[in-house]
Amino acid sequence: MTLDFFARALLEVTLAGALAGLVGVLVVLRERAFFTMSLTHATFPGAVAAAMLGVSIPLGAAVAAVALVAIAVGIGRIRSQGPAVASGIMLTAGFALGALLQSLGPLAIDVESFLIGQVLAVSGADIALTATLLAVAIVVWALAGPHLVFSSADEGGYRRAGLRPWIPETLALALIAATVVAIMPVVGAILGVALIVAPAAAARLVVRDWRAMLVVAPLIAIASGVLGLLASRWLELAAGGAIALVAAAFYGLAWIRAEAARRPRGTIETRTP
Amino acid sequence: MSAPVVEIADASFGYGGAPVLSGVSFEVRAGEAVALIGPNGAGKSTLLAGLLGLAQHEARVFRVPSARGEIGTLPQSSEIDPAFPVTLEQVVAMGRTPRLGLKWPGRADKRIVADAIEAVGLAEHRGARFGDLSGGQRQRGLLARALAGEPRLLLLDEPFNGLDHGSRDALLETVRRLKGQGVALLITTHDLDLARAVCDRTLLVNGRQIAFDETGCVLTLERVEAAFASHVIEIDGHTLATTEHHEAAHHHHHHVLRDDDAAAAPPR
Repeated sequence: MTLDFFARALLEVTLAGALAGLVGVLVVLRERAFFTMSLTHATFPGAVAAAMLGVSIPLGAAVAAVALVAIAVGIGRIRSQGPAVASGIMLTAGFALGALLQSLGPLAIDVESFLIGQVLAVSGADIALTATLLAVAIVVWALAGPHLVFSSADEGGYRRAGLRPWIPETLALALIAATVVAIMPVVGAILGVALIVAPAAAARLVVRDWRAMLVVAPLIAIASGVLGLLASRWLELAAGGAIALVAAAFYGLAWIRAEAARRPRGTIETRTP
Repeated sequence: MSAPVVEIADASFGYGGAPVLSGVSFEVRAGEAVALIGPNGAGKSTLLAGLLGLAQHEARVFRVPSARGEIGTLPQSSEIDPAFPVTLEQVVAMGRTPRLGLKWPGRADKRIVADAIEAVGLAEHRGARFGDLSGGQRQRGLLARALAGEPRLLLLDEPFNGLDHGSRDALLETVRRLKGQGVALLITTHDLDLARAVCDRTLLVNGRQIAFDETGCVLTLERVEAAFASHVIEIDGHTLATTEHHEAAHHHHHHVLRDDDAAAAPPR
């Protein structure tokens, strides 16, 4: 398959958008936005270390992500330390470690491409990884969707029903971490959170149930990716930044629409006799 | 007589330290409702948690249904964030999840969910967002969720709290119907009249078991006073057990408990 670099980038943002949208629903329903944010920063040292060692960068980021999910689950289980504490520590420690590694590196590493992505330089392997993960995300939602939603909505009820909440929790964190790694080439580590969280958060504002979110969120994320990419071409902007900003703009539009729908029609004077 | 669904002898329940509740021996038969009565902090919730395997227990005999979905529960109030994007039907369908595992719901499952919604009188709200329902409707929705699991044992935690008369009568009717279907029920309540109305036997506790027998025999003034340390009042011929909590929400009908101050106030 020979595609020019722009067609490859279009394919990658479409796949990454669908993936980010599907996994973003999980992030929003389980209120894991801050975890995702810290994960995007904390995979950074893994990517830097991989670049220094000359191995696959997604592999390095994935190793860091697995370690971080284990730490998050571990710290989260300590009663007095909530998941937000674990995420906050991960965020700063990970980013600091990445910066430190980079300063130690003998070679000049293009750190910017990890942080904000380089979608015009995606490889066939990047696309294959995103496509595979998209398939995994679809299968997970299809088979375990009811468990993911039940445990997100009512963890106590899920436990009382004789089910174990740590299983959907671990599944969700693993899927989020894998997604952060897979979309790194598109929007980078720092901007990844925008493509994951904003479309799902926007979808939540405009639809009433999670099944509809699973349709609307990927569509918004794909639209963000494609529009951002086109804008970057026409206006000669950085693609990662443009994509993240379009996703944020979609959230803004959804918020305005939700606010308008909530506001009663007519003024108070015309409504009260 | 039908077989016991729950059989407990010489049991104590707790969370690792000193037991919260000890000396417990009781059973619940299929088609029977047992009231679990005691003041706040008596160990009622710990007992329910123990039956679910969520609190520790030590016992000579400990038999409860153990297959997935065999125990249904109704919490005191909904723990689902009203903003969570689920419909009533999706919440009720959660009741099928333990039995389904990773399988997709079939036609039979969908019918069971629809029947459970129908049974609590919410058929016209099935597509409504769960958080848009009133508190009483949400509580009925959670009861439907418990019913959708087709439980052999149903644990109802203060199910009559905060219900208006209509919802209360509907719930009593549902309890009677479930008994007719052979479901075993364990119901915590502060309302002794409701216990008398639907519960065949009563388990009275306060840190330890005080009595377990036919409801009429257990709920004598002396025993209830022993359990509640004299926090018992009588209004219009109804005996009520009072506690420090659970007040404000229930002043709209005189059956449910009041706190001492509210009870002392003149009737409106």
